[in-house]
Amino acid sequence: MVFLTPFFLLGLAAIAIPVLVHLIQREKKHVVEFPSLMFVRRIPYQSVRRRRIRHWALLLMRAAAIALIVAAFARPFLRQGAAAAAASGGAREIVILLDQSASMGYGDHWTRAQDAARGLVRGLGTDDRATLVLFNKNAEENMRATADRTRLEAAINAAKVGSGATRYGPALKLAESILSRSPVKRREAILISDFQRSGWSGSEEVRFPEGMTISTVSVASPNTANLAVPSVAFARSSFSGQERLTVTAGLSNKGDEALKDVPVTLTIDGHEIQTEKANVAPHASGSVSFTQFTLSTPNVRGSVRAGTDPMPADNTFNFVLAPSEPVSLVIVDNGDRASSSLFLAKALGIGTTPVFQVDVTSASRLTPAALEKRAVVILNDTVFPPAGGGGTLKKFLERGGGLLVVSGDHSTWPQGESELLPGRFGAAVDRTTGRSGSLGFLDYSHPVFEVFKAPRSGDFSAAHVFRYRALQTTPADRILARFDDGAVAAAERRIGGGRSIVWTSTLDDSWTDIAVKPVFLPMVHQLVRYLAHYEPPTSWLTVGQVLDLAARARGRGDRTDRIVVTPSGERISQSSVGEGGEGLLELNEQGIYEIRSTGAANGRPEAIAVNIDPAESDLSPIDPRELVAAVTGHATPTAAQPAQSQEMTREESERRQSLWWYLLMTGLLLLAAETVIANHLSRKEKFL
Amino acid sequence: MTMSTSKAIPGAQFIDPKVLMRVGNLELVARNVVEGFINGLHRAPFFGASIDFAEHRGYVAGDDIRRVDWRLYARTDRFYVKQYEADTNTNLSVLLDISRSMKFSSRGIPKLEYGCYIGGCLAYLAQRQRDRVGMLTFDNDIVTHIPPSAKHFNVVLGAMEKAKAERPGNLAVPLNKMAEHFKRKGIIVLISDFYEEPEAVLEAIRPLKFLGNDLIVFHVLDPAEIDFGYEDASSFQDLETGEQVPVVPQSLVKEYRAMIQAHIASLTTKFSEHRIDYTVLNTAEPLDRALFSYLSARERLMRVR
Repeated sequence: MVFLTPFFLLGLAAIAIPVLVHLIQREKKHVVEFPSLMFVRRIPYQSVRRRRIRHWALLLMRAAAIALIVAAFARPFLRQGAAAAAASGGAREIVILLDQSASMGYGDHWTRAQDAARGLVRGLGTDDRATLVLFNKNAEENMRATADRTRLEAAINAAKVGSGATRYGPALKLAESILSRSPVKRREAILISDFQRSGWSGSEEVRFPEGMTISTVSVASPNTANLAVPSVAFARSSFSGQERLTVTAGLSNKGDEALKDVPVTLTIDGHEIQTEKANVAPHASGSVSFTQFTLSTPNVRGSVRAGTDPMPADNTFNFVLAPSEPVSLVIVDNGDRASSSLFLAKALGIGTTPVFQVDVTSASRLTPAALEKRAVVILNDTVFPPAGGGGTLKKFLERGGGLLVVSGDHSTWPQGESELLPGRFGAAVDRTTGRSGSLGFLDYSHPVFEVFKAPRSGDFSAAHVFRYRALQTTPADRILARFDDGAVAAAERRIGGGRSIVWTSTLDDSWTDIAVKPVFLPMVHQLVRYLAHYEPPTSWLTVGQVLDLAARARGRGDRTDRIVVTPSGERISQSSVGEGGEGLLELNEQGIYEIRSTGAANGRPEAIAVNIDPAESDLSPIDPRELVAAVTGHATPTAAQPAQSQEMTREESERRQSLWWYLLMTGLLLLAAETVIANHLSRKEKFL
Repeated sequence: MTMSTSKAIPGAQFIDPKVLMRVGNLELVARNVVEGFINGLHRAPFFGASIDFAEHRGYVAGDDIRRVDWRLYARTDRFYVKQYEADTNTNLSVLLDISRSMKFSSRGIPKLEYGCYIGGCLAYLAQRQRDRVGMLTFDNDIVTHIPPSAKHFNVVLGAMEKAKAERPGNLAVPLNKMAEHFKRKGIIVLISDFYEEPEAVLEAIRPLKFLGNDLIVFHVLDPAEIDFGYEDASSFQDLETGEQVPVVPQSLVKEYRAMIQAHIASLTTKFSEHRIDYTVLNTAEPLDRALFSYLSARERLMRVR
């Protein structure tokens, strides 16, 4: 409440008048002469009573009436707040966008943001309505449009800093949606944030139409110092049949000052294993490697903690470790050439992520039992193995196995198993005369070739193809690669849960020289990984990711119900069915999630490490005006606009609110009521 | 009625013809010892030189032998002396309180004026029966003193007219001084509102009574002093002291009435104990009725003496 003419408030001293009238003036007005007060003086009660205020209600009414009238002359008006002062004229629809991303946990950013939000709520007019939207990566309508300031303030007070990343796009889109539904003319979004540059890419395609405005309240600190552990790398090695692991933590200094001797601590299963000192230059990165340790059990929880700063959330990086599991595969060749599988075996023997456990056998020696524990079978220029007939290979594929058929001179495919081959073999095409063949088309959208999508990420054109088998595919088959003459080089067919891929040339040096090209090894690795359904073990996830627990359980054949314990200790029950999105778990907190099966024996529960988005560590701010200009199409003054504009609107605000009128009328009504009551009491008591 | 309403005579208005018509047949009689030289209308309780035979008594040495009833001596062979009723003239002194409280008036006539009427009427009655009339006004001291004299009636009336209630009153000081002025027994009429404690009033009057005077006390009160009929809460100012006290009349009227009645009752008791005539006069009552009732009672009491 502000007064336009506060000097009138001196008139509040007039409140003493009713008291004086009551206690003093009234007695002096009527002096009655009496011969002697000899007897009256013996009754002291009346004197005391006279000096006591008996009708408090009347006195209060008189005082209140005077106070109201004086206040009316002082011409009060409600301060609308910085944001509200910018606009005037009618009710407003306001959307308060309050950033609760992890970066708001820096220093006092969150406290200042809450204060700013509360200030905005207090500055709301009586007809204004406000919606509170809390956002990080996603935006949530925390408090629907209401004029109830108490509820809004309670919602602001109850809000907490989250662990999510900053994304302005969803929040602004939600604000635009809310404001567009409002019938009110004056619509305004107020964005309270630290304005991290990483939260705005510029391609959000958010555009406020005319009539909607956006104001900004920045709580960003000018000079921030922040050390973060954005990632951790693991180097695995085998020693004496055991897997040993080296942890290397990356450090990122986002501050302007160099950090010296920062303690970086590795913790495994709650025990501090090692602490190293690190030096990191300003705006630079560094790394710390810890000594090797043996990893023997799954779900080993670890963390790396580095230094202390105003934003502790990104100083710790959590991870969960498990021993690596090799991909078991068998290469079946014709057995007539010793070197026919040499290139494949050598290429697959190099892999570490994953480790490929390769067995080479001939088609005649292959047994159905040999397929049982294999993830992938490679038929390398061989006749169809007898062991795979009779539906054995089909069953292998249906339960999720992978089949790679490498064509060659010896390749044959029985008619009864044709459904397992993506297409039908034709005659060999000879490209030895003239210009040799080459790979002309690759489906980079396929996981096998996706890694080669980027420029200079594998030159398949350098490989020469001298012979290949023609392949007649069906529309159900997916063509992965073609030769320069358009013939199919690779095709895929899905059979049940399994995948079958045919490569129409050889993977040695007989029909093509691709085996000696740099792309050979990664291509073979990708092929086997894809066929084996290999998923690299994730040691951590990022806040905001969604985990399909139902799918994970199905993959393991786990049919029991699950209980998820979040890092904050909340317990979430999930049934094994996982229908209606119940099996989905959104990871909103930083830390370790535990997933316990209700029927499982006591043991180490499955753990999932969740870290905040590394982008949250970069506190460099964007100019709010840049964001406003991008959203509205024209620059709008931010909350830190000149005070002069506020001063200009004081008279206007006072005139528009016209509170003096209500105060004056209330005061006069009080006086009238006081007169009536006083007369009534006077008639009743005859002395007042 | 020579004193009727003539403006030429100062204070003549205090001799109200209507009042006098009503009380004209009454006599102001002294009950106590009154000495005088003129045989008047007074009947003294002592034997004197009148023609009205009272009784016989035995002769004692020193008696005038002319008063011996020789006829009775002849029958009884003893000397008896005849005694006659003594008619004497006496002094009537009007003691008028002119303290400030006496100027109070709530319904027309102030107490002082009312007191003057009483004093004037009594003085007239006394003068008519050839008694000597004097007057003394006082507040906290003696203001005017007119010695009793057969010729001072007009002076008394003039003094009454000039009397003004201007100063606070006090009974003790002036009455003690007055006692020195009364060398002869007489009738003393004290007119006041007696705003003092009954004990203090008696203490002040006692010196007058010691001289053997016949004390007649008129307690003049305004009806407002008796019933306290105020309604509005006001600041009440004491006329005597000037002090102001806030008063809510409705809250204390009952207590006040009880107190004033207790005061009157106390004065009545104490005055009767000292054989002093005490009469409360309400200024709202017609003067003739008040005076008539008093004089009737006094005459009636005289008969049973």
